[in-house]
Amino acid sequence: MAGSQLKRLKASLRDQGIIGPQQSKKQKRKNAEEQRARPDKRLQRGEALASIREQFNPFQFKTNARGPKFEVTTNKPVNEKTAMGIKGRPGVAKAAGEERRRQTILVEMQRRNKVGGLIDRRFGEDDPNMSLEDKMIERFTREQQRNHKKSAMFDLEDDDEAMGGLTHLGKPLFDAEDLPPLKDDFDEEDLPSGDESDGSRAERRMLKRQRLTDAADGPEEEEDGQPDRKKTKNEIYQEIIAKSKQHKYERQALKDEDDELRAELDEALPELQALLFQRQKPPSTAAGATVATGQMKAALEKDYDIRVKQLAADKRAQPAERTKTEEEVAEEESNRLRELEEKRLRRMRGEAIEEDDEEGDGDEEDGKGEKKKKKGKGAAAEEVYDPFNTEENDEFGLGKGVKYRPTATELGFDDEDDFLIDDDLVASGSDLELESDADEDDSDDEAGSGSGSDDDDDEFVKGILTEAVTKDPIFRVSEGKGDDENGIPYTFPCPQDHEEMLRAFEGIEVPKLPVAVQRIRALYHPKLDSKNKERLGRFSQVLVQHVAYLGDRFELHWFPALESLTRHIHSLAKSFPIEVAKAYRAHIQEIEQERPLALSVGDLLVLTAVGTTFPTSDHFHQVVTPAMLAIARYLGQKIPQTLADYATGTYLAILALQYQQFSKRYVPELMNFCLNTLCALAPEAPSKLGGFFPIHEPAAGIRIKNAHKTTIRKLTCADCQPNSSSSSPPAASASLKVAILNTTTTLLKTAAETWHTLPSFPETFTPALHILHHLTSSSSTPHLPPTVITTFTDTLTPHLTRLLRLAHLTRRPLELHHHRPLAIRTYIPKFEDSFDPDKHYDPDRERAELAKLKAEHKRERKGAMRELRKDAAFMQRENLRVKKERDAAYEKKYKRLVAEIQGEEGKAANEYAREKEARKRKAARGR
Amino acid sequence: MPEAVGDSGVKATGKRKHTANGDVSKKKRKSENTHDDDNVQTTIERLESEIQESKKHYNNIATILNLAQAHNEKPKAALAASEALCRIFIRLLAAGSLVKRKDASEKDATVTNWLRSRLEDYRRALLAMFQSAKLASNALMLAMALLKAEAQHLNDSAEAIFPRYFFSDIVATILESPVDQVMEEFSEKFVDEYHDIRYYTFEAIKAYINEREHNVSEEIRDTVFELLISMEDVPDSNDDLEEFYIEPPQKKKHPLRSLSQHKKRAQEAWLALMHLGLSKEQRKKVLEAMSGSIAPWFTQPELLMDFLTDCYNTGGSISLLALSGVFYLIQERNLDYPEFFSKLYSLLDADILHSKHRSRFFRLLDTFLGSSHLPAVMVASFIKRLARLALNAPPSAIVAIVPWFYNLFKKHPLTTFMMHRVPRTQEERDLLESQGLEDPFLPDEKDPMETRAIDSCLWEIVQLQSHYHPNVATIAKIISEQFTKQAYSLEDFLDHSYGSLLEAEMAKEVKKPPVVEYMIPKRIFTKAGDSPEETDSLLVSLWDFGSP
Repeated sequence: MAGSQLKRLKASLRDQGIIGPQQSKKQKRKNAEEQRARPDKRLQRGEALASIREQFNPFQFKTNARGPKFEVTTNKPVNEKTAMGIKGRPGVAKAAGEERRRQTILVEMQRRNKVGGLIDRRFGEDDPNMSLEDKMIERFTREQQRNHKKSAMFDLEDDDEAMGGLTHLGKPLFDAEDLPPLKDDFDEEDLPSGDESDGSRAERRMLKRQRLTDAADGPEEEEDGQPDRKKTKNEIYQEIIAKSKQHKYERQALKDEDDELRAELDEALPELQALLFQRQKPPSTAAGATVATGQMKAALEKDYDIRVKQLAADKRAQPAERTKTEEEVAEEESNRLRELEEKRLRRMRGEAIEEDDEEGDGDEEDGKGEKKKKKGKGAAAEEVYDPFNTEENDEFGLGKGVKYRPTATELGFDDEDDFLIDDDLVASGSDLELESDADEDDSDDEAGSGSGSDDDDDEFVKGILTEAVTKDPIFRVSEGKGDDENGIPYTFPCPQDHEEMLRAFEGIEVPKLPVAVQRIRALYHPKLDSKNKERLGRFSQVLVQHVAYLGDRFELHWFPALESLTRHIHSLAKSFPIEVAKAYRAHIQEIEQERPLALSVGDLLVLTAVGTTFPTSDHFHQVVTPAMLAIARYLGQKIPQTLADYATGTYLAILALQYQQFSKRYVPELMNFCLNTLCALAPEAPSKLGGFFPIHEPAAGIRIKNAHKTTIRKLTCADCQPNSSSSSPPAASASLKVAILNTTTTLLKTAAETWHTLPSFPETFTPALHILHHLTSSSSTPHLPPTVITTFTDTLTPHLTRLLRLAHLTRRPLELHHHRPLAIRTYIPKFEDSFDPDKHYDPDRERAELAKLKAEHKRERKGAMRELRKDAAFMQRENLRVKKERDAAYEKKYKRLVAEIQGEEGKAANEYAREKEARKRKAARGR
Repeated sequence: MPEAVGDSGVKATGKRKHTANGDVSKKKRKSENTHDDDNVQTTIERLESEIQESKKHYNNIATILNLAQAHNEKPKAALAASEALCRIFIRLLAAGSLVKRKDASEKDATVTNWLRSRLEDYRRALLAMFQSAKLASNALMLAMALLKAEAQHLNDSAEAIFPRYFFSDIVATILESPVDQVMEEFSEKFVDEYHDIRYYTFEAIKAYINEREHNVSEEIRDTVFELLISMEDVPDSNDDLEEFYIEPPQKKKHPLRSLSQHKKRAQEAWLALMHLGLSKEQRKKVLEAMSGSIAPWFTQPELLMDFLTDCYNTGGSISLLALSGVFYLIQERNLDYPEFFSKLYSLLDADILHSKHRSRFFRLLDTFLGSSHLPAVMVASFIKRLARLALNAPPSAIVAIVPWFYNLFKKHPLTTFMMHRVPRTQEERDLLESQGLEDPFLPDEKDPMETRAIDSCLWEIVQLQSHYHPNVATIAKIISEQFTKQAYSLEDFLDHSYGSLLEAEMAKEVKKPPVVEYMIPKRIFTKAGDSPEETDSLLVSLWDFGSP
């Protein structure tokens, strides 16, 4: 547009119709009338003027320095302002800020140090015209009114604005929009946008500030009709209600439809039934008995349901398993055995494949942890084992799932070892006496046929049963119910501790005990009573104690009975593994605490029983490992003083080797003990030994002297009892010595056979060879029986030499570390698909979050500082203004006073001059 | 110091009253003996008060003294008498009646002399009481109280002078006393508490031993030893010497105030004892306490060198114990011990892994072989030797050895050939095939540099990987795993025993049913039948269970 600013202004004013050519009086009047009718006309005028003003103020907008940008596609909503490149309206924003300050800070400033305390807002308090009664009446009325208003929230009569008038779908029917625009300048659409719409930041700050100052007015409220307007709660509820009503209606309609359809079908049913059952019904009844069919139908349905249930419950409905042929049974059995053997091997290698084993390993690891923790280095010690743990877990992953392992009880029932407890025997009650033997035989036969290799079992049981013990002097009827021909009662209480057992078995000879135990097991079979399981569990524990008890008082002919008791424990252990294990462990603990180096025969028998009850080849076993440790402790730490000690040690050494027969694990203590025993028994102390085991000087009288004519015998348990060997004739002690010597050397031979594949076999067994040489040397031979010497020279020494040579030949240098080299740890590089340089890609979430918070804090701080600065400036300005005002007022007053005084002075001067003049005149006159 | 005297006097009376009351209440119930004792008590009290009243009654002292000396017959009366005497003498000392003055009259001088000789009698009576179990501790307290009073008042000078003769008599009597309790009390209440008492005790002990030379009996040696070894905490500097029983002299330079003098006394006392010769048990005890409480007392620990090296060369457990002392000298005093490592190597004998000093030895061994600058050949010798020993070792020792090996392997990579040696040439392989392999290690070689252990392999540890104890086996397996861990902390593995291992096993509850042997034990104690499938178990074949 050409022309000067003024011209342009005039032109635009003219365009808006604010100024125009001169109007006639008539026209003016008409216009005025119109205006009165439409008051918005003036407003329109104001609006137009404002826009013109805006248009002509170059500082009204903040724009891009280089004009509007080119059009690009962005996510941001495009509006005209951004299109024009307008970034803000500093003037408006400033004015708004100023205004807000005036409303808040200025008010505060003015009230500062001036007002305070309470404002008495009671009605009529300041009104001197009202009497007290009037005031009271007025107040009461007001209060009543207020209460009334509150109670009448939903009073339709009450035309309250709070209800928002009539609405539809949450919107007022007569919206402000429909009305002619009634806004003030501040609400102009384009006005707040400078701060508001151009970024959420400014908006937020604005809101914050608003909240802070708690300004009375909320002019920034956004206009209705914008798409992202937030709905009020009221609106939301309305919508929900409407929706649910709609759904309800729809459901109703659907149901109605269904009902109709059903009714239709019901009508057609009789026909259909007739068709189905092909039954000719007299049409008369069919027509008349619609009610009857309904009843019949119900009865039929009921009947049908019952039938179905009966059929489902019938056992014969289950598909029966085919009877297996003998080969199949045998094959299954062998498969089962093979599987068990495999499992044993895996346990032996300490692998954790099954769930149970894993748990076991876990326990073990825990145990190690505990062990170390005891030393006060929990974490570090566990770390020690870490490599193995993790590797094991990697190798035999935890995720292999739960394999089914037959439970002990299940195995127990079809097991040939389960001692002849069949249900008939248990159930028959009064027939017990007559049938028991036969029953036992039967079940024995059954059991025997199961494996085909256990025929001796019934033999031994029978033998015990038929053996008569009527001569028993302490025999006594313990129960009135009746005994068999052996004097063993048929019923027993189930012993729950050892004393009870002693009482129960009082009068029963030890060799008969298995029968009693068997009867107890039958009487308290877990199937008979729910409590029996617990009872038998206790019983099995007591049985373990009893074996130790009997062992301590053993007699030679008891051993078959003890064996059978041990076997009972084994078969009970299948049903009650935890109880039996606990009993064994308790016994081992007792040994450890009371007599770690003085084991009794009972202890020896218990340790033997452990070896037969539990698999000794396992890498770790809750019972076998402690038992093995107890044995090794005796072998390793006991310094034998008497021959009984040597005998006990020899028994334990045999036991230790028997434990390791399968897994072939090395027991250093065994070697130490055997070699030491040989050194101690040798007629002369060996001069030089190649070994690294500590040699204990034997007590006096241990060395074999002059036993040339002694015959060789085997060791017995009686040799382990200290009293038997202390005061015995020299011949007996010599035979015992020779027996120990002989047993130990045989044991060494077996040990060599067991361990000859171990990598350090030569180092382990060379000392043994040295001792054998020493024993066969000229210094020893005169004292030893010639048969022993010949076994040494003819079988033992050559055997050992051969094994040593073999080990020497097969020995290779160690190559333990053919490990795959450890890879350097690598990381997969991370790529961001839609990389935005402005964005922060911090992989650390917390740090990212922190950075975000920090940035916000910084922003807020800057904003707050800016605002504070502005506030300060405002206050300064205000103060200055006030001061100026005050100064001006003072100046004015001063001037007025001066002027007044001057006026008075002038007046006085004039008067004086006048007076003077007058006097002069008077004088002149007088003269 | 009248206050102190008064104080002790009050204490003594308090005590006496207490005992008297106790006696009275007891005896009232008991017997007519009461009367007698009560009489004695009152008599003593009367005599005591008379002495207090005037000098005339000084002869009463002799009467009371007689009562005190008869402690064997009437211990209660003797005790009361000696307590009374103690009060009397302390009072007299405080009053200065026992101090000889030049200006005193002849009569006074005789009185003083007489009193002095009575005091001497009283001392003797007190010391005699040390022999009786009942009175000993009371006598000790009285003697020490008297000692204090004497130190302060027996001479003219303002400063207290320690009565050495009396004190050394006390110490000697304590050492010879059959009552152990006195010694304990003495060391607890006086020697440990007061630095000057300790100082003079050292002196007295030295004098005592030197005086008697080799006539000192074995028991007394033990007592002296106990007393000396109980003096543990060596002060750090002169300023720490501040607990004095008797007012110390003001002089700064006085030996009581100098630590080095204290140490010197202690050293002399120890040396005097050691010159007497020690029994084996004592030696062990000395060696155990060496680095902790003996060596710090010595101003010249070099003097211990001979003793230690002698012990070290003895062999056995004494050597083990001497090791820490020798190490102390090497570390602190630059002792040059030639052939230290070969000596150390020779300590690795068959007993070492079974010894109860095993963990102590391993801690030291870990220190000695801690340097990474040691020749690998020697380290290999140690490893191989210990591996051999491990073949016959208890599990607790194996558990400690293997992680230590691991640490050594990490520190001396050359030694890892002991675990992994691949034959390089074809000839070598052929030779192995045809002749097998002889372990090149020379177990009888004394010099660790010459054992050829570095050419050997650790078959022993591989064998222990199939140890019967699962944890030991697992630990032995670490040498065949990859060496990913930096080092094992040795402390976790020391200090195990059969007991602790078993305890660890037993501490675990049985929660999961243990696996039961599936093979039915057909024969346990009885012999196998005739059927060919059955064979006797090892136990049955070697043991007679009486079956036919």
